[in-house]
Amino acid sequence: MWKEFNWFILLLWIILFSVGLVAIYSATQGPVAEFLPDYIQQNFFKQLIFVIISLGVLIAIQFIPPKYFQDSSYLFYAFGLLLMVITLMFGREINGAKSWLAFGPIRFQTSEIAKIATILAVANYLGTRKELTSGKISQALIATLIIIIPTILTMLQNDTGTALVFIALIPIMLFWSGLPYGISLFMVSPAIIGYFTLIGWIWGAIVALIIALIIHILDRRLWVSIGALTMSGILIVGIRLALTSILKPHQVGRILAFLDPSFDPRGAGWNVIQATTAIGSGGLSGKGFMEGTQTQLRFLPEQWTDFIFCVIGEEFGFIGASIVIVTFVLLLLTLLNSTSNHKYPFAQLVIVGVTGVLFVHFTVNVGMASALLPVIGIPLPFISYGGSAFLTNTIMLAICLNLDLHKRAFSIYN
Amino acid sequence: MNNQYGNSVKISVRVLQLLILVTGFLLLGRIFYLQILSFDLYNPLSQRNALQQKVVNPARGLIYDRYQNLLVDNVPIYTITVTPNQFDTTKLTLLSGLSSTPIEELRESYTKARAYSWHRPSRIMTEVNFEVFTKIEENLWQLPGIGHSIESKRNYAYKNIRGSHLYGYLNEVSEKQYRETVNYRLGDKAGKTGLEYVYEDYLRGTPGVSYIQVNALGQPLGSYNNGSLDIAPIRGADLITSIDADLQNLAEELFKNKAGAVVVMNPNNGEVLSLLSAPDFDLDFLAGKIEPEYWQAVNFDTLRPLFNRVVSSIQPPGSTFKPLMGLMALELGLITPEETIYNPGYFLRGRRYNDLAPPGDYNITRAITKSSNTYFFSLMNEIANKELLNEWNRLATGFGLGERSGIDLPNEKPGILADSAYYDRAFGKRKWGIGDLISLGVGQGTLSVTPIQMAVIASALANNGRKVHPHIVREIRYPEGLTTIRNYETTTIEWAKKIDFTPIIDGMKGVMIEGSAIRSYVRQIEMAGKTGTAQNPHGEDHGWFIGFAPADNPQVAVAVLVENRGFASRFAAPIGTLLMQYYLDRKIYRTDLYKDMINTLPPSPPEAELTETANQNE
Repeated sequence: MWKEFNWFILLLWIILFSVGLVAIYSATQGPVAEFLPDYIQQNFFKQLIFVIISLGVLIAIQFIPPKYFQDSSYLFYAFGLLLMVITLMFGREINGAKSWLAFGPIRFQTSEIAKIATILAVANYLGTRKELTSGKISQALIATLIIIIPTILTMLQNDTGTALVFIALIPIMLFWSGLPYGISLFMVSPAIIGYFTLIGWIWGAIVALIIALIIHILDRRLWVSIGALTMSGILIVGIRLALTSILKPHQVGRILAFLDPSFDPRGAGWNVIQATTAIGSGGLSGKGFMEGTQTQLRFLPEQWTDFIFCVIGEEFGFIGASIVIVTFVLLLLTLLNSTSNHKYPFAQLVIVGVTGVLFVHFTVNVGMASALLPVIGIPLPFISYGGSAFLTNTIMLAICLNLDLHKRAFSIYN
Repeated sequence: MNNQYGNSVKISVRVLQLLILVTGFLLLGRIFYLQILSFDLYNPLSQRNALQQKVVNPARGLIYDRYQNLLVDNVPIYTITVTPNQFDTTKLTLLSGLSSTPIEELRESYTKARAYSWHRPSRIMTEVNFEVFTKIEENLWQLPGIGHSIESKRNYAYKNIRGSHLYGYLNEVSEKQYRETVNYRLGDKAGKTGLEYVYEDYLRGTPGVSYIQVNALGQPLGSYNNGSLDIAPIRGADLITSIDADLQNLAEELFKNKAGAVVVMNPNNGEVLSLLSAPDFDLDFLAGKIEPEYWQAVNFDTLRPLFNRVVSSIQPPGSTFKPLMGLMALELGLITPEETIYNPGYFLRGRRYNDLAPPGDYNITRAITKSSNTYFFSLMNEIANKELLNEWNRLATGFGLGERSGIDLPNEKPGILADSAYYDRAFGKRKWGIGDLISLGVGQGTLSVTPIQMAVIASALANNGRKVHPHIVREIRYPEGLTTIRNYETTTIEWAKKIDFTPIIDGMKGVMIEGSAIRSYVRQIEMAGKTGTAQNPHGEDHGWFIGFAPADNPQVAVAVLVENRGFASRFAAPIGTLLMQYYLDRKIYRTDLYKDMINTLPPSPPEAELTETANQNE
């Protein structure tokens, strides 16, 4: 049975959490410890404990019959939503987000559990249906609804970053289920056009035109292309309006700081400056373990979680940072590869969903740290400090490994 | 159908994988751009972020007198600083209580500091006394953003010497100054006048740099790399001046309640022994925190205390010009020492010029002793008739008239020494005549000199025709132990013949025993001198005295100008002779005159500058 196990994915996982532990150690146990409160200094050890627990969980999950995930998905989903609602009412607020639930000394982010539950539920729903076509638009809407509910709950918890990850699941899952390419692109297009509109509305307009053209080539229905173009126009105008007259200057500053830190020099701009300075000053081989001045002198915000990539960039340079990027890309590519020799749609959808979540986390986090994207606080999977996130990410990966390991077993259920 | 589904899965996998690959390459490209291509931009940025460069100002060089007495040194002052981004403005009340400073004043300084820099420390209180300083230091824990530092200010160490125009004062460097040089930062002080200004580059020293590691909260974490990159400041060079501190002290005493200037000089090498311009100002008030009221008072005083009369006041020399005039006449062959000119009590040339010298025959010695105007008018008349004006100008230039002496003080004026071109410019070509020149013979008319120039002339008369380069600093002593000695060559005035000096100096000796300076006669020392009056049509006349002693082996020369006090015999000559006797014998023989000088009542303010020529003689 273990011959079938995807050892390569396990290796990549080990590389990532090892890099993470080294970086967390440097960011909390290095000379910087002097400026950190005790509970943060303990982060390394807490993470280490979670890594050990997660390893056990990962192994344990391999012994669960894969059918179980599908069967219990809706129940699990309902449980996840319930937890989120409870969190909204009784949750603990940390860093402005009311997304934590505490049981004695154990605290966890319920949106993390909802993430797994949602992927399983959507996969179950779409996997048991026939291929999606434009005719079966109602199925797409239901799938979207399954994702939207936890998204709204996350937003109510004031955790925009995680909400974004949920939203990104919609096009990915629908695309996989056979949503026509043109429509899929149409669904992704607001994010792309929005990003370019922030840089400049002309860029937004140019990108909108290009996307409309591609949609037209892919879809060949004039009303879809025109619809896409119209939506883009509304989006561009809306974003410009929001930036110029609806949002307050400090909110605009926070959004645009990645383009020009002077928009918000003591808030998000400060983070952008310090983050790019940390990465840029790392050079080819970095300043060395626990020798990064930006890290050790506390110039980086949240350097053990959201900005941990900067610690790696500063202390291990381009070599260290590119190892992280390459490892992630390999992990995502390998996960996707494992779907093509899988015949069972539920399994494929789960793997794609997990890949999508990891991909969004990875892209947004590294993009933010290197000032390509606005400052959005989401952690780098397997690397950032955060016990419940590490555990849930590992569980998601473990489920994928399980589905891959047991791919022959599915024929029984088929 | 299965096959078709499989195909579509394969395409979907490839599409998503392509998306992941593209994203991966974008991110790799971004960090390549940041870390490899922009490394040279970000690495120094991070260095600067983590390191705070603290400039350590060097100790300013000291100033000594000729006998190694310390004249100017530095004393520590205590400064309280504020770093606005760390400071909580509600703490101003506490700070105000600790320092007993009005809160409005602190708020104002804080606002200024904030405007200068949000995250750099600025001075919020300077020159707080030690008690307040320690009180604030003890309470620093509850005053985040407040810091303290010890700076220094000038201290005028020797007795009561003010030396205002000699040392000069320091001022905060101008924006231009601190932008153009690496040596200054905003708020640093540099010499503005006097020796402090002229020798700024020597006195200043080289600032040092110390590197301190700081974190994002601005907390200092100690020295960087164990201070191996720190550069210690190099203290400024000391100045050894030729000033005689006790003589300077006496000069300042004697000038009490008078306006004018004094230069006491060694006639053999041009070393300045004492120099003052009165009224002066109190450097102590300008050394640290400047009181606005005092600054206003000094700036708007009608007697212009900031104005250095020694080098900047130009006045007609009056009769003190006569010895030089006589020397020039001998050189031009207009007269011999034995020849006499009859003085009927006046000189007639277009108009009547009175001569207060008793009627009779005058040779050159007697003409100087009695200051006969007729004698010198007729000599000038002859120069005019023979069109020797430019020749006269050339000879006078030899003694340094019409040009700067080159003394190491700023703002020196060259004075006015006319030639024909000058008159052509002033009156139009050939539109001037003998009448315009006559007064030059008695040191009036278009002739203006500074006290330092008169000191040079007195020295040249004393040393038989060598022009000295007056200077105050004789040595610059560098902190490494190296010393440069400032030697200025005295230049021989080529046209002046030794033999011609005897009748002139005899005349000047006569001035002291039977001439206008008789009141200042000193039995113990033979002196030579000449008084003069610069007529002031708007008020009391200015009195001049030049002289040297001992007359036959001169060791000291003086030039004294006393403004608005009429005849020179009243103040200028006594001051000049008192200074010479003190310098030579360390004694004041004429204590009566000394008492008279130090008990003088304040002068009346001057009304305007002197313009008219005069025929006043003494």
